[in-house]
Amino acid sequence: MKPTHIQTLYTLQDLVTRGFRESRPGEFPYRRGPYASMYTQRPWTIRQYAGFSTAEETNAFYHKALASGQKGLSVAFDLATHRGFDSDHPGVEGDVGMAGVAIDSVEDMKRLFRGIPLDKVSVSMTMNGAVLPVLACFVVAAEEQGLQPETLTGTIQNDILKEFMVRNTYIYPPAPSMLIVSDIMAWTHKHMPRFHSISVSGYHMQEAGATPVQELAFTIANGLAYLDAARQAGLGVDDAAPRFSFFFGIGMDFLTEIAKLRAARELWATLVRERFQPGNEKSLLLRMHCQTSGWSLTAQDPLNNVVRTTIEALAGVLGGTQSLHTNSYDEALSLPTDTAARIARNTQLILQEETGLCRTIDPLAGSYAVESLTADLIDEALKLIREVDGMGGMMRAIEAGMPQRKIQESAAARQAVIDSGEETLVGVNAFISEEAGSVEVFDVDNRKVREHQIRELERVRSQRDPAAVENSLLRLEETAGRISGENHGLQEKNLLQLMVDAARQRATVGEMTAALERVWGRHRTDSVPVTGVYRTTYKDKALLMEIVKEVEEFARKEGRRPRILVVKLGQDGHDRGARIVAAAFADIGFDVDLGPLFLTPAEAARQAIENDVHMVGVSTLAGAHKTLIPQLISELKQAGAGDIAVVAGGVIPEKDALWLKDNGVLEVFGPGTKIPEAARKVLRHLSTPSKQNE
Amino acid sequence: MSRSDVYDAGNLDSWADSIRSGSRRDLARAITLVESSRIEDLEPAQELLERLIPDSGGAVRIGISGMPGAGKSTFIEILGQVLVDAGHKVAVLAVDPSSPVSGGSILGDKTRMATLSRMDAAFVRPSPAGRTPGGVARKTRETMLIAESAGYDVVLVETVGVGQAEWRVSSMVDLFAVMLLPDAGDVLQGIKRGIMELSDVILVNKADGPRRESAAQAVQQYRSALEITGGEQSGIIIRACSAHERSSVTACWQDMTESLDARRKDSRFEQRRRSQLRQWIRSVAEDSLLQLLQEDRKLSALLDGLEKEASEGKTTPLRAGLVYRNRVMTEIAGRDAASGVPL
Repeated sequence: MKPTHIQTLYTLQDLVTRGFRESRPGEFPYRRGPYASMYTQRPWTIRQYAGFSTAEETNAFYHKALASGQKGLSVAFDLATHRGFDSDHPGVEGDVGMAGVAIDSVEDMKRLFRGIPLDKVSVSMTMNGAVLPVLACFVVAAEEQGLQPETLTGTIQNDILKEFMVRNTYIYPPAPSMLIVSDIMAWTHKHMPRFHSISVSGYHMQEAGATPVQELAFTIANGLAYLDAARQAGLGVDDAAPRFSFFFGIGMDFLTEIAKLRAARELWATLVRERFQPGNEKSLLLRMHCQTSGWSLTAQDPLNNVVRTTIEALAGVLGGTQSLHTNSYDEALSLPTDTAARIARNTQLILQEETGLCRTIDPLAGSYAVESLTADLIDEALKLIREVDGMGGMMRAIEAGMPQRKIQESAAARQAVIDSGEETLVGVNAFISEEAGSVEVFDVDNRKVREHQIRELERVRSQRDPAAVENSLLRLEETAGRISGENHGLQEKNLLQLMVDAARQRATVGEMTAALERVWGRHRTDSVPVTGVYRTTYKDKALLMEIVKEVEEFARKEGRRPRILVVKLGQDGHDRGARIVAAAFADIGFDVDLGPLFLTPAEAARQAIENDVHMVGVSTLAGAHKTLIPQLISELKQAGAGDIAVVAGGVIPEKDALWLKDNGVLEVFGPGTKIPEAARKVLRHLSTPSKQNE
Repeated sequence: MSRSDVYDAGNLDSWADSIRSGSRRDLARAITLVESSRIEDLEPAQELLERLIPDSGGAVRIGISGMPGAGKSTFIEILGQVLVDAGHKVAVLAVDPSSPVSGGSILGDKTRMATLSRMDAAFVRPSPAGRTPGGVARKTRETMLIAESAGYDVVLVETVGVGQAEWRVSSMVDLFAVMLLPDAGDVLQGIKRGIMELSDVILVNKADGPRRESAAQAVQQYRSALEITGGEQSGIIIRACSAHERSSVTACWQDMTESLDARRKDSRFEQRRRSQLRQWIRSVAEDSLLQLLQEDRKLSALLDGLEKEASEGKTTPLRAGLVYRNRVMTEIAGRDAASGVPL
């Protein structure tokens, strides 16, 4: 990482010019930490994000983790659940159980936490799209463990704004989605006082390519937008703000990341005080969870990732995080194996137990460099926040596509800098090791999980009272219809309350989601990627021009430019890779069709055929490739379009890559592929009359 | 694929049959063929077209243009669904801009028409405009005819408003609509750019929420501008529209069909198609002449020489232009057509 904002030397003078002021942890502006004692009394919570396959399997994993020193749980749901589809929905065939655990109803939720005391173990749930039904299932599962909602501790992510910006696991359009957020804040305020009603997340922005300043500014601006929403829903700032938590990503830019966490606390405290005048000092506290960056992990020489994660974890700790997830070294390839998960957990245990870091608070305070960087980040972020204010707030800025565009530009520029070798990634574009072996990867048998889920769904549906379910769903639909208007206050019919009622009756996650969808519809984004940035940032212009020339030559011979359809299949909305590839290929001279998100293989095949592309490039990050890509190839063949080649890119383990190639995929581009090289490879395939033209 | 060998008469016959019987794959490939810039593809493309043209002509052709962000795709996404629900088969031909720097393009229309592009009775084909103005847009007319022969009875042609392409499209459709934003700047630009003369329908979009009022004002401004230019009798439709609301799009479509019916009744519809034939013939001739000029080695050598002379002050651009023209006359005019660009 080569940050441009860092000076070669910091001195006392830098603190003076930045107006450095002494402050204490646990006191305004909280730069040094939200609490006075920080880790000296209790270290940060080791909270590993995990979930896969069925509730039973994840439950077994949780028990093991808790027995090995983990303190809190953090549930990863599969993409079908995120998007509010039951496991038997035809659009989620490749997604069930893959990137997280499949939850279809209360019954699954009960199995997920069997034997885990929910009043003692805090549970964080990364859920935004299907946030209502999932939180409702959680509440009912606890209830049937004999626990009232008041006793539950943990966090629900409930951060829909960043979904519209970068992560794409939204369901409804922005306006009703914000109503859901405030209904959850209202209900948890009343019934779950120990629970964090929202986790305002910058992590996914960083993963999508945001710079530290962008991550900081947009996250804080989102937090302010939620406080506004709470106010509109009739909640006071002191009702809502103390239950906010934040979530940041920690990348490899060590000092900047430490400074970012310190800056976040000061920014939040300052802006909340300025804009909302809370009476309760607790409203000013920014408490955070951090996760080491998944994007910084490399598929090449994966054991290097242990080192990367350790350094990032250290930055999180020095920045004063309240809880932390450390990634497993194999996560650039697949879900973690048991070994990799153990090492990741141990990384934190070693930091807590062996380094002495918990013995003193905020040890980097007063450092010329760290304090200056903190001040600079605050300044830069404030500028960006004011820009957002000028547009009328974060909702408007997102509607106008501003944060999305800025983040995509950063991502494309970063990719160009890495591809051209300006930024060094050890084992990827420099110091490549001959001995770098492959590691064992974790496999989920997606078909088996789905069959299991479908059986369970059938059982749940056959044992419930259909009239009661129908009735509870109708009430949801009616309420949604009534509150879609502008004047949504703390109405007596809270959507979460109605969801809890429906979950009790064993309505499924998919059914509850569909009830609201009938009123609000399903949201789609249609923004086009930013072109031009890759080409202008890429340094090795000579190489680029060579490829551009090959493209021109191809176009002259073929009568048109090489045309490629870039798609994501299934419910995976992580489209940083797809967008960068699409933009960079267009910058090189390809005609690039960008498919909408959430396509089925049949739909992708139709698009490829209708647009008559030379090739389809599938970007896959959520493990569904072994199911969906072969389906795409067979759909193409069935339609007589077997000559349209298929290539794949993304998180694909070596053995899956070989398997895919045996099953008709022309090329597989793993993480770390340089885009110009991929373009050249693709072009050469297209130029030689292919053999698969049977 | 080595293609020249598949273009014999028998193959073209069965290709045409397959398009008529609804093969998406073969329709798509035919569009690629007519869009091809390879000289060798011109002849088979014409052969294929000749087989299909008798089955074309039955569709309603609508052009929709406007600046990026005006809401064209959103409008088409909804309008297409309205039409499909009413039993039509809808083809959307979208011409997307290509980068003047790289020549590449991002074709995102299917993303913006996510529902329509999944429907059985719809065919959505984005095409890159290419770097030469009028490039692929020139082929849009032929693409339209192929789609019609495949049974699509409404063809919607979407272009980004950048002058040349707009003009081309307006001369090949039965009704040309322009979509504008309610902002004052856009209104002024619209009047300046001569949109009034070009279009049959002006839709002022985003007439919802906070912009409803300014949309109504913009509509008024256009109406008064129309009175000044005296074009009121021409039957131009000017109205506000909310492209993401089905009811509003349906109402727009109603206005458009009424206008089409009126045109059919007083035979303006037929007259327009007739005059478009004439324009078509002329543009084929002009385009192929231009291509001849551009690809003739001797002529481009002459041009290089003249450019040098003009830059050294040995001749004026004016005189050089006339010299060039005279050479064109002797070079091209005397030549057997068969030795030029084949048809």
